[in-house]
Amino acid sequence: MLKFKYNGGLKLENPYPVDEIDLIRIPLPDKVVLPMQQRIGNRAIPIVSVGERVLTGQIVATIDDQRCAPVHASISGTVVAIDEHVYAHKSGLKGLCVTIESDGKDEWVDTSIGCTEHYEACTPNTIYNKIRVSGIVGMGGAGFPTHTKVRLAEGCHTLLVNATECEPGITCDAALMQAYPTKVIRGIEVLLHICKAERAIIAIEDDKQDAIAALNKFCNNENITIEVMPTKYTSGAEKLLLKSLLGIEVPTGKFASDVGVLCQNVATVVAMFDAVVENRPLISRAVTVAGSAVKESKNFQVRLGASYDYLLSFVDIVEGSHKISMNGLMMGIELDSTNYSVSKNTNCVFIDQLEESKPIKECIRCGLCNTVCPVDLLPQQLYWYSKSENIDKAIEYNLLDCIECNCCSYVCPSYIPLVDYYQYSKSLYKQQVKEKQQTESARERYEFRELRLERNKRERAEMMEAKKIALKEKMARDKALKATVEAALKRVEAAKSAHGSQDDG
Amino acid sequence: MLDAISTLSLLALLLGLGLGYAAIRYRVKGNPLIDQIDAILPQTQCGQCDFPGCRPYAEAIASGEVEINQCPPGGQEGVDALAELLGVETLPLNQVHGETQPKRVAVVDEKVCIGCTLCIQACPVDAFVGSSKVMTTVIAEECTGCDLCLPVCPVDCIDMVEIKPTFRTYVPDISELAHA
Repeated sequence: MLKFKYNGGLKLENPYPVDEIDLIRIPLPDKVVLPMQQRIGNRAIPIVSVGERVLTGQIVATIDDQRCAPVHASISGTVVAIDEHVYAHKSGLKGLCVTIESDGKDEWVDTSIGCTEHYEACTPNTIYNKIRVSGIVGMGGAGFPTHTKVRLAEGCHTLLVNATECEPGITCDAALMQAYPTKVIRGIEVLLHICKAERAIIAIEDDKQDAIAALNKFCNNENITIEVMPTKYTSGAEKLLLKSLLGIEVPTGKFASDVGVLCQNVATVVAMFDAVVENRPLISRAVTVAGSAVKESKNFQVRLGASYDYLLSFVDIVEGSHKISMNGLMMGIELDSTNYSVSKNTNCVFIDQLEESKPIKECIRCGLCNTVCPVDLLPQQLYWYSKSENIDKAIEYNLLDCIECNCCSYVCPSYIPLVDYYQYSKSLYKQQVKEKQQTESARERYEFRELRLERNKRERAEMMEAKKIALKEKMARDKALKATVEAALKRVEAAKSAHGSQDDG
Repeated sequence: MLDAISTLSLLALLLGLGLGYAAIRYRVKGNPLIDQIDAILPQTQCGQCDFPGCRPYAEAIASGEVEINQCPPGGQEGVDALAELLGVETLPLNQVHGETQPKRVAVVDEKVCIGCTLCIQACPVDAFVGSSKVMTTVIAEECTGCDLCLPVCPVDCIDMVEIKPTFRTYVPDISELAHA
């Protein structure tokens, strides 16, 4: 049981229960579409060209940015296109993708330069680098590059492995832990080696008994403890996990690394183990396919870039109109089609029977949202301020602390999509901050330019003045010189004539 | 009687000296109103207001010479903000000075550019990088989209391109969330 608690949160049943969780390996897809823009950071730049043959595990795009990870070919084959596709993003914007057609051979590039089993002999720097070139990002959904996160947490006291998987219906992490418990434990040992933390805690919810049993069986490191938590939605949010397990509250605007904790998702730990010890870059991941329109929900180990349609061909889907969503019922997003591909942070694809949408009604100020907010905000106030675009006031009410967990929208009896309003305010705030910086910069540059023009003008005038004076002086000097010469000539002349008269005499 | 007069005189002298010192020590340099107006103006430095930059326009507003509705990049919101600051009635934006346009950025067609450096001289915020007879380019983050480089370019190689939302700058639309 937990020593510490947080307010709010929701007890949610798994809407798509299964008897047994299993991780199914599926055949190679014929084609993969790899997005270049990852969740954060700059867009990666393709380093292959159309028509080029690539091998599995080969880097196809990279960029020199600490907040960005390289992208690897997930199958061997030929690059058939580098063009824009609509991303699985709320905005529906298009972004650059590299499309690779498989040759069915799955030929691997030589990735053997690395640490292998003897990672203890490697310096942390070598391992950071290995993590970076393996393209590993946070696989719980945030997509933050792991090498940067680990480096930021250097010298931390605790490693927290997030295996809570609190979103209802997603079971891919549980499946991964059941399939590869040793990888989880060994991966944690690698992380402990590089971040120098004294202990590691695996946080897991009590509805994953099989995964807990599997981990317990293989965990023989006394520095690693398995903490079983009650099943409650939003327990898995990083800051809440710290609060409920360690009693540490992360201040606004700070991260877990600022309070000496490194928090990693369990799937990221497995991916990191594969990269460091087995020399396999991140080219596949576990994805849950479930939903009320799916006869039996399943977990697949699938290559990145495989299309949703390909994934869905391995499950039985009930005919009818469907609602498609990804990354969960609570924090995920709804999509218009299945014409997207699996990316590094896609943890599930849900296909549900289309239900009649509930009409949004006016807020009745019932205050239910205030009681479920896990980060102790006032969702109702934030809603009013966001709706009236009173951004300053919303920020004052700590809008930026909102983790967008959707608990408030879930309980709202008026079906108000509260988090949509908060996202709107947050992006508007971001825009305002950026505009302010640009305005400030433009003012400074304008004033500096005015100053420079003024200075140039003055310097030019001074230079002209100096030249004038110099010319005058030169003329005066010339005149004096001329006079001296003339005087000398006159003297010579006089002397000559005197001499002449003497000769004559 | 004498005591009272001397006490008051001394007091007056001391206070006078104190005030005199404070007036010199804490003198407000320049007109603070100009800074406040300048802070509201968008710093595009485009000159559409008929002044050579935002600060000159701010100075003119502060001296009461011109109307507050001559800044198209600031839009109606800017006019309203100025009216609130100055405590006057707000005015509709004066269309004579141009229309409010979405934020744009200058892009140089680098194949066409001849390196004449005229745009470098015209740019009010030094957003151009280049030198004579070499290709010139724009520092996109610093460009205010003022259009001042367009008329000076002899080969017409500068385009004003509207800034499109990216994944990072995307603002969701809440007008769709209209209540039933």
